[in-house]
Amino acid sequence: MRKTIGLIVNPVAGMGGSVGLKGTDGETYKKALELGAEPVTPKRARDLLVHIEGKDALTLLVAPGKMGERYVAGFDVPFTVIGEIDEETSAEDTKRIAERMVEHGVELLIFVGGDGTARDVYDAIGIEIPVVGVPAGVKVFSAAFALSARAAAKMVDAFVEGSDVTEEEVLDIDEDAFREDRLASRLYGYLLVPEVRRFLQPGKAASSVSRSSRESKREIAAFVVEEMDPETLYLLGPGTTLKAITDELGFPKTLLGVDAVHARELVGEDLNERDILSLFEKYERRAIIVTPIGGNGFIFGRGSKQFTPDVIRQVGRENVIVVGTRGKVSNLDCLRVDTGDLELDEILSGYLKVTVGYKEGMMMEVRC
Amino acid sequence: MLKALRLHRNEMPYPPPQDVIKAVRKGLSKLNRYADPEELERLRGLLADYSGVSKRHIILSPGSDLLLREIIHTFSRGRRVVMVSPSYFRTVQAAKQFAPRRLRIRLSPPAFDLNSEILMDLLEKPSLVIIDNPNNPTGSMLLDRQAVEAIVERGETLFVIDEAYYEFSGFTLADMVADHPNLAVTRTMDKAFSLAGARVGYTIAGEAFQGALSSFSIFLSRLSLHAAMEALRNRDYVRRNVHRIIEERERLRQALDELGIHVYPSSTNFLLLRAEVPDVARRLRDAGVLVLDVSDQLPPGFIRVSIGTREENDAFLTRYAKVRQSCD
Repeated sequence: MRKTIGLIVNPVAGMGGSVGLKGTDGETYKKALELGAEPVTPKRARDLLVHIEGKDALTLLVAPGKMGERYVAGFDVPFTVIGEIDEETSAEDTKRIAERMVEHGVELLIFVGGDGTARDVYDAIGIEIPVVGVPAGVKVFSAAFALSARAAAKMVDAFVEGSDVTEEEVLDIDEDAFREDRLASRLYGYLLVPEVRRFLQPGKAASSVSRSSRESKREIAAFVVEEMDPETLYLLGPGTTLKAITDELGFPKTLLGVDAVHARELVGEDLNERDILSLFEKYERRAIIVTPIGGNGFIFGRGSKQFTPDVIRQVGRENVIVVGTRGKVSNLDCLRVDTGDLELDEILSGYLKVTVGYKEGMMMEVRC
Repeated sequence: MLKALRLHRNEMPYPPPQDVIKAVRKGLSKLNRYADPEELERLRGLLADYSGVSKRHIILSPGSDLLLREIIHTFSRGRRVVMVSPSYFRTVQAAKQFAPRRLRIRLSPPAFDLNSEILMDLLEKPSLVIIDNPNNPTGSMLLDRQAVEAIVERGETLFVIDEAYYEFSGFTLADMVADHPNLAVTRTMDKAFSLAGARVGYTIAGEAFQGALSSFSIFLSRLSLHAAMEALRNRDYVRRNVHRIIEERERLRQALDELGIHVYPSSTNFLLLRAEVPDVARRLRDAGVLVLDVSDQLPPGFIRVSIGTREENDAFLTRYAKVRQSCD
């Protein structure tokens, strides 16, 4: 039985790079064209298709023309074109076609583009089906992307062979700030991606103790729940590692929001600053549990605006519990904070323990 | 077809000298016999002399990994294992496998240095601390005498320093073992002695470690024993090896730096690079260069490259430049 897989290519992603622009959001794309930028996504799309080993197990649903159809013709894979596009394409095309593909029963959606394309795909399909992101943007920061077109092909093969899937972050990069060499990214959402365990170097035995990201999250959750003090109010920030904690406790989690737990009971959902401060009137002992944003390491200031300086100060540095899988933590240089309150950022800097597994911690430096 | 460059296992690119090879040949004629206990004792004596310690501190094993593994297995019960990250991957794996409680201190770029105050703060509970000095894969020195003295003063702490690259750093803390029963230093003859294929490791162990560890010396082959003894009797070549590798390491580092590649200072026979090229280890492998991808412990793009002969290092530079060009 062939797997039905969708392919959407953002034909303008990455064009800013060769002409020194950072990103092609909005009007910048036209500027890139004026400067003589060449499309980069066709090569990425072809590289991907060349390296998929299990092509004979696939049926493709592709976006029309330069958004997909054009690149699959040379390969011996049956395909059907979904939707229509005009000469000038936009984010709306990506969203509309992604939705149509899900309606047509795609089991995996491959998209070629940058962070903006990932946000469009997230807006359209959320975590309904898994995706494989092929990086073609000027700078691709979201953890939901594969490392390269070839690595993306491996993920497609792994999916066809029945791999597990895991949630990875989609970041909202402020391109205007990025063009001014300021990295201003915040958590936007999550996409489901096939999990390909890291392959070790030739000559090295595969570790018998390596764990999948999902298993790692469960391990962290089991430890955090075991250590929970019944007198303390726990504020759980956004993220799938935090969701593993509420799964362990048997509650739903607001994936992009803050929920509150006391004595293993859910006492607040999707809280804003005011909600949190009113809970503080009732609970004297407080803790915040957060996970760093994959790729940039922010624990405060980018993913959870509900944790305002006032909230963090009332909880105290010593009651900030950081959790993260080994895979995510190893990808970071350090932890970062940007609360908007320089004095608080200073207080938060130094080393914090990150729980990375059951009774396993990593001391990480917090920089601001 | 390009010959693959083996720059992924920190081996010495120069073979051992003829005297060592002759000694191994001599051992071949008695291959029907186990190694003589007297010869094992002689090797311990030679290693004690080389390390400047008493023979009673020397524990032999086929490779130092095995003893590190045994130390974790034996001493992690009732103690938290404290290590740095990144660290030698086999020690990391052994800790994951055997130690019920683990805490690691992350070394961050660009300095990759160890904050010894943070380490001291963690030692309030009984701990087994294992630190590679110099560190593998960053190449940086993490410990000085003052920090080690402060740590070993904590009576409930057992402290193991992995000095696999001691000959390249020229810095050792082995002399402290005599006065500190809770200190052990592990070393290997795999690297500077050109004997990776013989697998001779040893631990300079304080009293707290002695007697508790399994005896692995009987697993040393007669051939390895002969190679090690001859190498220790005739060790001028080790100094030459180290000198050549350090000279090449610094030449390669400068060349990489001139190419605009992030490369970090090293006290070992390898360099840590941060490549801008995505999936760089795989691309280099396709270009016939084997390097160690350390992205399981550090962010993507970090690779560890062993120092080869001058020709190998030049070939590495050429192939790296081509890989980078193909990604532009």
